Amino acid sequence: MPFEREIAEHARRRGKALAMGSKRKLEEFAAAGLLNARQRIAHLLDEGSFQEVGLFAVSERAADRDRSPGDGVVTGYGRIDGREVGVVAYDFTTLGASSAPVASLKFQHVRKTTIARGIPMVILGEAGGARIPDVMGARGIARTRSHQVYDRRRQTPWVTAILGQSYGSPSWKAAMSDFVLMRKGAVLAVSSPKVTAVAISEEVDPEELGGWRMRTEVTGEVDQAYATDQEVLGAIRRFLSYMPSNANEPPPRAPVPPGSGEGMARILDIVPEQRERVYDVRRVIEVVVDRDSFFPVKERFAKVLTCGLARIGGRTVGIIASNPIFKGGALDPQACRKATGFIVLCDSFNIPLVFLTDTPGFLVGVEGERLGLAGQIMNFNHALEMATVPKLAVIMRKSYGQAYINMGGTADEIAAWYSADVSFMDPAAAVNVLHGVRRQADPERFEALRRELARDTGAYDLAAGFLAQDVIDPRETRAWLIRMLAVHESRASGGIGRHHMATWPYNF
Amino acid sequence: MKRIEVKAETPGSVIRHEVVPGDAVAEDDPILTIESMKMEIPIPAPVDGRVIEILVAPGEAVAAGQTVAVMEA
Repeated sequence: MPFEREIAEHARRRGKALAMGSKRKLEEFAAAGLLNARQRIAHLLDEGSFQEVGLFAVSERAADRDRSPGDGVVTGYGRIDGREVGVVAYDFTTLGASSAPVASLKFQHVRKTTIARGIPMVILGEAGGARIPDVMGARGIARTRSHQVYDRRRQTPWVTAILGQSYGSPSWKAAMSDFVLMRKGAVLAVSSPKVTAVAISEEVDPEELGGWRMRTEVTGEVDQAYATDQEVLGAIRRFLSYMPSNANEPPPRAPVPPGSGEGMARILDIVPEQRERVYDVRRVIEVVVDRDSFFPVKERFAKVLTCGLARIGGRTVGIIASNPIFKGGALDPQACRKATGFIVLCDSFNIPLVFLTDTPGFLVGVEGERLGLAGQIMNFNHALEMATVPKLAVIMRKSYGQAYINMGGTADEIAAWYSADVSFMDPAAAVNVLHGVRRQADPERFEALRRELARDTGAYDLAAGFLAQDVIDPRETRAWLIRMLAVHESRASGGIGRHHMATWPYNF
Repeated sequence: MKRIEVKAETPGSVIRHEVVPGDAVAEDDPILTIESMKMEIPIPAPVDGRVIEILVAPGEAVAAGQTVAVMEA
């Protein structure tokens, strides 16, 4: 057989690289019910679609060459639902997937290809940090500059999943991404608990330092957390199903599932007629959007504002809805940060925005002021002004003060439900502010003043001045949105926006 | 079993208890309802678990951040 020796050697080298870093560690992964880097890639991508680059790469240090298959990272291309993506999976079994020069070259190769060819980038993160001794010394650390690129411009979607201990490199990638997921039990932090403990002379609990509750509830840096690797990988596929492959494409259309819109009649039972009663706006979203299509973003962070991707009539939309069940739907600084980031995501990838509004206003007070409420409100407003995607708003019940502007007041089309109530402030609160009368002190006078202040605050008052384009029955919401999304399709640009916020910060 | 303090996120006055000590609750189930910003706002269970004690009575004022109930989970 010609090339017999070469064929055998090729098979030997390929086998060694595919065997990854350490048999013992691979067994530990399996025993813990976790997938390893190659299994994760196989699970993420369409079957048989992975095209690897860098299988034969190893550490540039002679001493590590034999024990660093792939230099600790598995990279390449593959398909998700038939569409190409770039993928980088940190291989923890190889030197703890620590970052090193050759691994960085591999990352940058895939990154450049995804941008040049207009395909999403998926990063499966798990790493102990930078590799020692590679990064030690002045030359070691200074040289890392040439391996890193920090000026992402949102040309294509980036998704990062944190699937184990993640310090350094994968944490930066998560911070730069459009969508971040985490396996419960994984840790996302700048430095490991060990390094942190040494630096600040204090024992650190990994979960407290960067566990899923902390990242999804306190900082909001992680959008979704799941119990298993498989669930996380499934959610990556689902996120990408809403997204275009790049910023120069409209999002893909999907068939409308049977049964969509059937719940619209129930909407009158979901939203209480008594305006002091609260409800969970997610129940409204579920009946308005295509069946089972709502995919929440940062659901556990700033719960007063529900944000998420969904489809309406088969089109991807970004939903921004105040949620009265939490803090009455009053918007706090965290909610503004969440809204700003979500608007940047949707606008960068040509996804129309849909507002569902029922808010008593911004949550004023010392705590909000300390967190820079005014600045956060203006960032939110600035993002709305910069957005060039279609914006549609449904004012369900209350919308008061500056929050009226933020929550749909600048939309291209506004529909008010007949239950809408719009003013500078809640009429009942205005009685206290303007007349100094409290309900308990003088119920009769209070009610008379409240009625007077509640004049001209209804849906028809808004529509009379053409400040809303229609007054609709709540049961007509889905039909109105489907029709208006079709009208407002950006035909002149083929559905592509101007992306003024593509270079805005990664995090708000 | 971990002891978990349930805190009010907004200031207000207690309208009613939604559960009694000993009840099992799921995350986001209301434990009690307060009036704040002219709204009846539920204070939800932060995790799945059991309510051990409710520390505030109807009519009582609560401050933001105040512990209003204790759960075990």
